[in-house]
Amino acid sequence: MIEKQILQNLIDEGMSTGADFVEIFLEDTWSQHMLVTNGDVSQLGSGNVHGVGVRLIQGVDEVYGFTNQVDEVHILSLVKNLRASFKGEIKSSVPLGDKKPYTTKAIKQMEDVTNKERAEKLVALSNLMKAHDPRIIQAIAESVEKRQSILVANSKGVYQDDVRVYTRVFVQAVASENGIMQYGYEAPGRYAGFEIFDMIDFEALALEAATSAITLLGADDIKPQVMPVILNNGFGGVIFHEACGHPLEATSVAKGLSPFVGKLGEKIGSDVVTAYDDGDVDGAWGRSSFDDEGKKTQKNLLIENGVLKGYLVDYRRGMIMGMDSTGSARRQNYKFPPTSRMNSTYIAPGKDKLEDIIKDTTHGLFAKKLGGGQVSPATGEFNFAVIEGYMIENGKITKPVRGAMLIGHGKDILFKIDRVADNLEFGQGMCGSLSGSIPVDVGQPPLRVTGMTVGGSGGQQ
Amino acid sequence: MYQKWITRGLEKGLTDIEVFATREQSLKLTVFQQKLDSHVTSDVESIRIRGVYQGKLASVTFENTHDETAERMINQLIENAKALTVSEPAIIYEGSPSYPKVSPADFDFSSVPVLDKINMLKKIEAGILKSPLASNVSTTVYIESNTSTTIRNSKGLNLVRDANYAYLYTVGVFKKDDDIKTEYYTKIVKNYQMLNPDQMIEEVVYKGERKVGGSSVKSKRYPVVFSNEVFSEMLGMYSSTFNGQAALRNLTLLKDKVGEKVLGDNVSIIDNPLLEEAPFQIPFDDEGVACGPRYVFKDGVFEGFLQNLKTAKMFDVAPTGHGFNNGISPTNLYLVPGKLSFDELIEPIEDGIYITDTSGLHAGGNTVSGDFSMQASGFRILKGKIDHPVKMIVCSGNFFEMLKHVKGLANDLSFDISSIGSPSVHIEALTIGGEA
Repeated sequence: MIEKQILQNLIDEGMSTGADFVEIFLEDTWSQHMLVTNGDVSQLGSGNVHGVGVRLIQGVDEVYGFTNQVDEVHILSLVKNLRASFKGEIKSSVPLGDKKPYTTKAIKQMEDVTNKERAEKLVALSNLMKAHDPRIIQAIAESVEKRQSILVANSKGVYQDDVRVYTRVFVQAVASENGIMQYGYEAPGRYAGFEIFDMIDFEALALEAATSAITLLGADDIKPQVMPVILNNGFGGVIFHEACGHPLEATSVAKGLSPFVGKLGEKIGSDVVTAYDDGDVDGAWGRSSFDDEGKKTQKNLLIENGVLKGYLVDYRRGMIMGMDSTGSARRQNYKFPPTSRMNSTYIAPGKDKLEDIIKDTTHGLFAKKLGGGQVSPATGEFNFAVIEGYMIENGKITKPVRGAMLIGHGKDILFKIDRVADNLEFGQGMCGSLSGSIPVDVGQPPLRVTGMTVGGSGGQQ
Repeated sequence: MYQKWITRGLEKGLTDIEVFATREQSLKLTVFQQKLDSHVTSDVESIRIRGVYQGKLASVTFENTHDETAERMINQLIENAKALTVSEPAIIYEGSPSYPKVSPADFDFSSVPVLDKINMLKKIEAGILKSPLASNVSTTVYIESNTSTTIRNSKGLNLVRDANYAYLYTVGVFKKDDDIKTEYYTKIVKNYQMLNPDQMIEEVVYKGERKVGGSSVKSKRYPVVFSNEVFSEMLGMYSSTFNGQAALRNLTLLKDKVGEKVLGDNVSIIDNPLLEEAPFQIPFDDEGVACGPRYVFKDGVFEGFLQNLKTAKMFDVAPTGHGFNNGISPTNLYLVPGKLSFDELIEPIEDGIYITDTSGLHAGGNTVSGDFSMQASGFRILKGKIDHPVKMIVCSGNFFEMLKHVKGLANDLSFDISSIGSPSVHIEALTIGGEA
């Protein structure tokens, strides 16, 4: 990449027309993808993302530029282009400091794995799903390995590199019977290399995906109604991610668009709700050692016993809000200026047992597996899809239901959580927002929401 | 540079090789509270190389355009090709006999001063905020993009296409009592003069003021009218089931249904890459195959899948010119409009729901089964007229089933920024989840 002294010079060039903050973000990312469909290796791809993003800030005004031409001449011309937006006295920069060590525990990086090895693992999973039931007509197993190397240098003296190694495996089974098609899937990811296969029991997950597809073939569409919903652990945390996580990002708080603006220290949820966002959970999909502004990631308390304790803040929006960065600045790649984003967000475990919560529910929905969702930060309205659900009748789980969508309002939902179980788990996803698509964990123990609007196409008159 | 890589690939034992290169220069401006909130410029070249090695086709993408990276990637491509076990056609295309002429997208957006663009955004924001119900404008964005795409291969193909456009986007936030609603507006144009901030303000304010203050409805089945924008989004989502790759992978209910009547008589869906009313006209796909108009559904009959070179060969049909982005995508896909005005469309409805906004379709829509459940809002239709606003409802159904029960199609065809178009559509009945 570019030498430190050259970066220092480029930063100083950027400061020469009045900018009081200059940042250079260099990236070189490699990825390897393999797709297996019904036992055949049917697609392979290798990718490289390579470029530089330059950011200048004066006051809170920001200009950003990026290019894949990573050399002194091109970066200087980009800097000159950007600094033309500002007028003012030359500010001096803090000399670039020393890099701090990052931790990347990945053992088997993509260059250490042969395609043969990949194929063996994935073909076995595909075959396992296919053999599970004759109604399985497609069994997909897919792996994505990625290594993102970054270097951030800025006028505050930050000079920090980080190497992030991510691996995700996706298994999907499609079942068909009497003109109906349904699917089940699992998609765990880790901040790790190909040793993910030693960390997770993928055979069990593949069978779960196949079983889920078959179960859904025989499931009824759910009848729309308002009722108590028990959200399972793991990906169930998507509810908190959508309904509360996004509105707690400085991206919407600094603009005054979030329902949680000005609510620090106030009660925003019931006593059983404590929530964190942690950028440094060992081996987690949403992890990095440093954020994309070069700040060490940390564990941030968001809500404690229902009281709002903090937001997720990046450098620039921190200035607007009068707050320090929480190490939450993230971006998909150099093509985006960083914004405040989540890493591994979760509701802390309580003391209840899932069995007891189910036993104490007369009529409701057990949302075993959740899909994605969406929130409108301005209105606070959110929704998310239930991939696999079961009715609860008189304290017992009864028949499977499909096609349910849950909707609600961010400022109400946290008050409606009345029971929280003791077994926290994470689920992995890709989160899309202003600064692109990034890996995140969502997480929670199983919990009950006293009443939610549940949509579905069942019970037709 | 490209020719050198092609030669290098052939030396390394590839039987055919193709370089697909795009260079995009872009500008993005965002205004918030009468201040420039972000100003982003870019210039990025990215390369995809596809090659055939021992009868297998693999591809690699990269942005570091130094020769060493290209060399490393060609080696990787060969390693990838060796690992493929699937038996599929591996085709690098020599080119179509002729290509359609499209009007050039040659407006130079950079000739308009940046300050003019910023002032336009400020004007839009201020204009919306003049509405007594507008509490905020959460963002106002201008994007311009100039992309040049080159395809060059070892079979002598050498094609270039340009796309040049600007795009405006704003979100007005409207508040009445305790209810908050957002109104989005997007417009994509090929010429700066086609941007009309006054019309944008007028439309956002009119729609935003009208929809705020809504309530939920009782859960049951209702006749439903989808706005043209909402139906375009749904059509876009389910268009993935129209492609040959989905059929080969058993991921679409349309498999083995070519020539069968699967939708209602009154439903026709066309893909027309050359349509003048659409945001883009596309002469050829990413594999160099000439594009042309075709029916996907004609009077309810499924006319055939959209294909790229590989899937066309496997289906034993001619390629349709839909090989985009290493997969298959439509170009300008639209539901053929009817003759009714919007008022005539809703006139027969005693008690129904007009859906103008949805959220969460990406999560609540299942392309494999056709089922969907999505958060929605809009208006109650009573006695053939738009009545009060409706919010926090879930609309559920099955995309393919629904299109067997189309009661009416309006004449208001419009295209979204993904080049998917639709008129407003009246569906006989769908399940609406709301209050108990």
